Amino acid sequence: MAGRGYLGEFEHIVLLAVLRLDDQAYGVTVRGEIEARTKREVSIGAIYATLDRLEAKGYVQSRAGDPTPERGGRSKRFFRVTAQGVSAVNRTHGALRSLTEGLNLLGSRS
Amino acid sequence: MRPTIPSLRPPPLAAWLVELFASADKAESILGDLHEESSDICSKSGVVAARRWYWRQSVKTIFHLFGAAFCSAPWSLSTIVLMGFFTHWFTATVPERVIIAILRAQRPYSNLHYEFYVRLINYGIPTAYVVTSMLVGCVVAVLAKGREVVATLTLIVVRSVPFLWLLVFAYEQNADRGPIFVGAFHFFVFRYTLEMIGILLAGVLVRILRSVSSRHATIS
Repeated sequence: MAGRGYLGEFEHIVLLAVLRLDDQAYGVTVRGEIEARTKREVSIGAIYATLDRLEAKGYVQSRAGDPTPERGGRSKRFFRVTAQGVSAVNRTHGALRSLTEGLNLLGSRS
Repeated sequence: MRPTIPSLRPPPLAAWLVELFASADKAESILGDLHEESSDICSKSGVVAARRWYWRQSVKTIFHLFGAAFCSAPWSLSTIVLMGFFTHWFTATVPERVIIAILRAQRPYSNLHYEFYVRLINYGIPTAYVVTSMLVGCVVAVLAKGREVVATLTLIVVRSVPFLWLLVFAYEQNADRGPIFVGAFHFFVFRYTLEMIGILLAGVLVRILRSVSSRHATIS
């Protein structure tokens, strides 16, 4: 079912952030990208919980980087969106586009 | 003279708590990220702000890790916790009953013997509660591989529901709250606290032992 499902709101945001960062996507950069673009404060834990879920669904893949001194000798975990992940983004975008078609969202509605 | 850049040593307790809830590889990347970002905050806003940020992020991360651990295997974790709940429910008072049965069977025959009896009641029974709870906690933690602390904390929450309900019920049913009631009330709260400490301690111990053994396996 994971192959045909739609993305949740935060999954969608995280997946797009990973796509934007290309091969530089790890916890700190993903968090920074989301905060810079959505003006929404997110925790490292929320990012990792979502990325783990996306990895379990096969939408992202992770690999360990080398340990660095600025990280206290700990290694990074880099993420990359899979073809399945790109399909999920397209599917979700398609559904949203279809639902918003013909709606005047900019018009005032009180 | 060059200005000195403040350096941050991550709060050890916060880092340790994150390690308790995350798997070894996940903890490595999460703690690395926390270190990297807090060092950046430290150079911009100082050590106090960086420490505060580290703690806030650690607490939020623990909540997310707790939720994620439960959501990733809800059925197996629920089964383990329920098994632990019923095991604890039926075994918690067994050591106390055994100690009381021994005391009833053997009458004290000297002052020294009497002292031993008093010690057994004062220290033996509370110790028995902790040990029994630790044994149940150990079984739950061992079965919940990788989610030791999550499982034992859930067991504590589940175990607390009937206990707190009974406590409120007893309090409301007894209009005359005399010294016997107050004494029994305090005893049950004391016993409950010991049991919960025992369960949590077991979860933390199993988690630490697993982390140490997996670290040794990685090194060798």
